[in-house]
Amino acid sequence: MSKTTTSRFASFDVGGITARSALVHIAMYGAAFLFVVPYIYMISTSFMTQQDAVAQGMNWIPDPVTIGSYVQLFAGSQIIQWSINTLIISSVTTLLVLLVDSMIAFSLTRLEWPGQRYILALIIASFMVPGFVNIIPLYLVVSDLGLLNNYLAVILPFAAGPLGVFLLAQFFRDIPYELQEAAQLDGFSNFRIYTRMILPLSKSILTALALFIFVWSWNQFLWPLIVLQSEAAYTLPIGVVVLQDNFTYQPALTMASAVVASGPLFILFLLLQEQLMTAVEMQGVT
Amino acid sequence: MSVIDRFGGVVGTLSSDSRSRREFVEGVLFSLPYLIIFAVFLLYPLLMGGYMSLFDWNAIAPAESVFLGLENYATLLNDSQFWNALGNTFYFALLTVPSIVVVGLGLALGVNRDIRGQGFLRAIFFSPYILTVSVTALVWIDMYSTQYGVLNHYLGMVMANPPQWLQSRLFAMPAIAMTTVWWLVGFSFVILLAARQSVPTYLYEAAKLDGAGTWRQFRDVTVPQMRHAIFFVVVINLIWAFQVYGQPYIMTSGGPSQTTETLVMYLYQAAFNQRNFGYAAAIGYVLTGILVAVSIANYYLLGGDNE
Repeated sequence: MSKTTTSRFASFDVGGITARSALVHIAMYGAAFLFVVPYIYMISTSFMTQQDAVAQGMNWIPDPVTIGSYVQLFAGSQIIQWSINTLIISSVTTLLVLLVDSMIAFSLTRLEWPGQRYILALIIASFMVPGFVNIIPLYLVVSDLGLLNNYLAVILPFAAGPLGVFLLAQFFRDIPYELQEAAQLDGFSNFRIYTRMILPLSKSILTALALFIFVWSWNQFLWPLIVLQSEAAYTLPIGVVVLQDNFTYQPALTMASAVVASGPLFILFLLLQEQLMTAVEMQGVT
Repeated sequence: MSVIDRFGGVVGTLSSDSRSRREFVEGVLFSLPYLIIFAVFLLYPLLMGGYMSLFDWNAIAPAESVFLGLENYATLLNDSQFWNALGNTFYFALLTVPSIVVVGLGLALGVNRDIRGQGFLRAIFFSPYILTVSVTALVWIDMYSTQYGVLNHYLGMVMANPPQWLQSRLFAMPAIAMTTVWWLVGFSFVILLAARQSVPTYLYEAAKLDGAGTWRQFRDVTVPQMRHAIFFVVVINLIWAFQVYGQPYIMTSGGPSQTTETLVMYLYQAAFNQRNFGYAAAIGYVLTGILVAVSIANYYLLGGDNE
């Protein structure tokens, strides 16, 4: 961002902020304020007493501040179990996607064998069938395999998505082939080239992809709702909706559950926002 | 290795044959884990869906399913609930896609300017995208609440009868659309910002030398240079919009009077409430058809631009 810094100094030299720049600042920070309102509402309401939360009007700062809703939430619901379920599903999905997608991307770009072109074409064509428009046959497949109410029913269909293969294949293709030839002359096996050369060189894209997959699988709603049928197996996104049905007109409790459900991702976001946005940008570029 | 000895001259070829055979085996082995998952959980269901849509599908005893030909599709044509859901889905797309693109572009161009706290603003505008649909929906249900919601609290100060948002036939879908814009615009914003930042500065300098004002620069430099990103953002948001489910399901359950029931909700209902799997598969195929048409249209639009 050095460009920004220098031009900011330049505008100081001219004698401060111009009218247009002031207007842009007002518009952008105004928009930012509107964007933040739902967060403030969510967090502030979650610390209110039940009476304050349903009171007419809006007190942005809870008075008194109470953690009663959180206590009630942790004691009276399975939200801890749901958090663990969600964490397991997202972590396993992420690791599985990284492993199988990088393996096939390696095979399609760094090895040479007949038919690979058709397979890549098939995978790319499947981009056109996004998400779960075919949930009915998929449901029957999962049910025939005896996977209903099993985390694999959530993990495996998600791992079938072509995005990771596509992104990784693009990236692997740009790694110089001379490196690989040199390694082959040194007697490296293809497996060693994959683990010792390609994967380490691709750390940035693997991290970005991992974050993206993690956030996406954490946030899935429709498919887990269909295949996870016992309350103990629910994920957070489903659990908070079930809670809300039980806690109608108890916004303090509902908002506390919303804070708990989104908290971990927010911490992840604050720590790794650059990589996460890089992952989004890569999708736009490809 | 006696074969090699006997045809001494072609030893090289043979060994490179065995090398390429090894590479074939390795290539397949490396691909296999993904290919199995892909075949079982994406490709097979896709083909299966087309097949199922031709039957009155018996989920318990598939062999006893009754072949209907295209009857499921014919039934769809006369099914008013299907047309209602399709219409609602189009309406939702119409409300959200242009808004997301315009708001995303506006925010991207604003943040791209010489502005303080660029990184901070970028994070704020992107952040709702990391929320799950249910958290988003729950927070907005409460904000729209007519009893204790923050929105009507302030609207009530300037108008006598603020809308009943989610209970209103007129306002329920726009309310869901507004929530969706807040939730999803961050994705498009980041892509458009990246695209804007990769437009070469000299193009703007040249335009300024030619005496182009802000509007001319926007029209003749910014938009043409960003057209790929804009197309991408339009298409991905269309694809998402046609699959909308979570927000209306949680916020209104499709009501009031089915004004917010979408195609995926109807599909879900046909399958899991009426156990009419073949019919639901037909709805899925129509939806797939729409999405493929959107993708192909995009492909040709982009391809045409490249030439």
